[in-house]
Amino acid sequence: MTTVGFIARNALRNKRRFILSVSSVAVSLFLLVTLQVALRELTNPINDEGSTLRIIVRNKVSLAQPLPARQLPTIERIPGVAAVTPFSYYGGLYKGDEKFTSFAQFAVDPVRSFDLLSDAKVAPEQLKAWAADRTSAIVGRKTAERYGLKIGDRMQFTGQIYPCDLEFKVAGVYEGTADDRNVFFHQKYLDESLGDPGTVGTWWVKASSVEEATLITDRINKAFANTSAEVRAETERAFQLGFVSMWANIKILIGGISMVVVFALLLVTVSTMSMAIRERFRELAVLKAIGFRRRDLFAFILAESFGLATLGALLGAGGAWLLYGSIDMQQLSNGMFLMFEVTPQMLALAFSIAAVLGLLSAAAPMLGVARTSVVQGLKTLD
Amino acid sequence: MSAPHIVTIRELSKVYRQGEINVVALNNISLDIAQGEFLTLMGPSGSGKSTLLHIIAGIDRPTKGVCRVQDIDLTKLDESGLADWRNQNVGFVFQTFNLIPVLTAFENIELPLLLTRLSAKRRREQVNTALELVGLAERQKHLPRQLSGGQEQRVAIARALVTDPKLIVADEPTGNLDSNSAQEVLGILQMLSRQIGKTVIMVTHDPKAAAFGSRSIHLEKGELTN
Repeated sequence: MTTVGFIARNALRNKRRFILSVSSVAVSLFLLVTLQVALRELTNPINDEGSTLRIIVRNKVSLAQPLPARQLPTIERIPGVAAVTPFSYYGGLYKGDEKFTSFAQFAVDPVRSFDLLSDAKVAPEQLKAWAADRTSAIVGRKTAERYGLKIGDRMQFTGQIYPCDLEFKVAGVYEGTADDRNVFFHQKYLDESLGDPGTVGTWWVKASSVEEATLITDRINKAFANTSAEVRAETERAFQLGFVSMWANIKILIGGISMVVVFALLLVTVSTMSMAIRERFRELAVLKAIGFRRRDLFAFILAESFGLATLGALLGAGGAWLLYGSIDMQQLSNGMFLMFEVTPQMLALAFSIAAVLGLLSAAAPMLGVARTSVVQGLKTLD
Repeated sequence: MSAPHIVTIRELSKVYRQGEINVVALNNISLDIAQGEFLTLMGPSGSGKSTLLHIIAGIDRPTKGVCRVQDIDLTKLDESGLADWRNQNVGFVFQTFNLIPVLTAFENIELPLLLTRLSAKRRREQVNTALELVGLAERQKHLPRQLSGGQEQRVAIARALVTDPKLIVADEPTGNLDSNSAQEVLGILQMLSRQIGKTVIMVTHDPKAAAFGSRSIHLEKGELTN
């Protein structure tokens, strides 16, 4: 027999309680990790390589307000601007989807847009075919796979924001961005369908260098100050964080739930460990009598408590990591979650909580053992 | 020539505080116990015999006086020092056996040896020797719940013996046993004293059990009466 074996035997003496305790830690930490992943997914914008160079220009009044198409030459002339494209969110409902389409559709300039989306990889002949056909579109790989779309297939959309329905021919498939789901089509096609209103949703601008990006936002804002369509230019990161700020209450809510989960878990584990040690007080007194020191008994209790919490963390947090790494959450959540990735930081958080849990739940029993003399312990009833 | 003393007690007192009242458990006891002796402590409940046994075994401390065991003044040892001393010098046998229910007979006996630096092989040898001494070699893989009361107490005696201590203390070791099992257990304790030279100190109420000892002393209200 080894000391580790002795600790394991003690931990497993009441198997049902052991399984239930480990399960409670595992389920709680699984839930905690899931909440953390969801929170990250909802509040942490996806950044790709090109995002540091991109600037988004929108109407200063609101994102929903369009911008005049005539602003294009003015933006193009601003020093440091490498490329500009209109970027209008169409927001159509794809044929077959009843309430919600999991991918966005944007009207852009087919020649310049892929200059801006530098991370997107698409075959040059497909890009060429797209530019040549005004009713064609480039589709993200994930959307193409999800709907089984091939080049030449047609996609029909019902307008939800704009009063027009559109039909595109798939000219190409792109991939390599953080979100390979979008569909890009010609701004001109949207304009024609709407009766050429002379507006765009937003402008997407590519800066010639990262250093220039901040300067360009100021220049663009100033260029349209005191005009009938004042703009708000900001880096892509700032634009995304604007969306994130809308989730503030969700963050507090998820944070609150996470704290409650951890606290409930603490109570359960402390109670379990106290119970497990209390019913062994007599045995611990016998161990003391035969020569085990107080610190040996502390080590036994701590090891048992740590073991229980760590096993729970392995099953809960490790299980979450395995599960979310093996399922397509994007498909399961109908596109709401893209990555649903358990990060090393989240695993570290879960295991840290388990460690603290192990320590705290051992504290009360250790105090009891420290306070009880051998003689008192031997008088304890079984 | 008489055997050297293994235990020397001088003017030993133990006073418990219960709320506002002081309860005198032992009052000015002086006692010598010779090496190899089988001493029985008798007396009515509350007479202080268990307290005296606990102090000799180093699991309780006197309020005043001296308790020397093998020339070591136990009152001078700290908590850790006492724990080490107990592991090397004392074997315990309790009325309720106090075996660890999740360990086999073999593992229960091996438990005190986990605190030593003996190799696994050496530990195994010592446990087997102790098991043979109490006649339970064939029951080594049994859990306590699979043993009779007498067998459990024999395992407890083997556990007390396994570190080869000079002193074995037994607190009412036959209190939970039928007469046959009690005879067996007392026979083993007597054999340990007579044949192996262990000093055995046993607390008992039972005069028949006390008859197995080489000397019997009586306590009453915390004082020696003979």
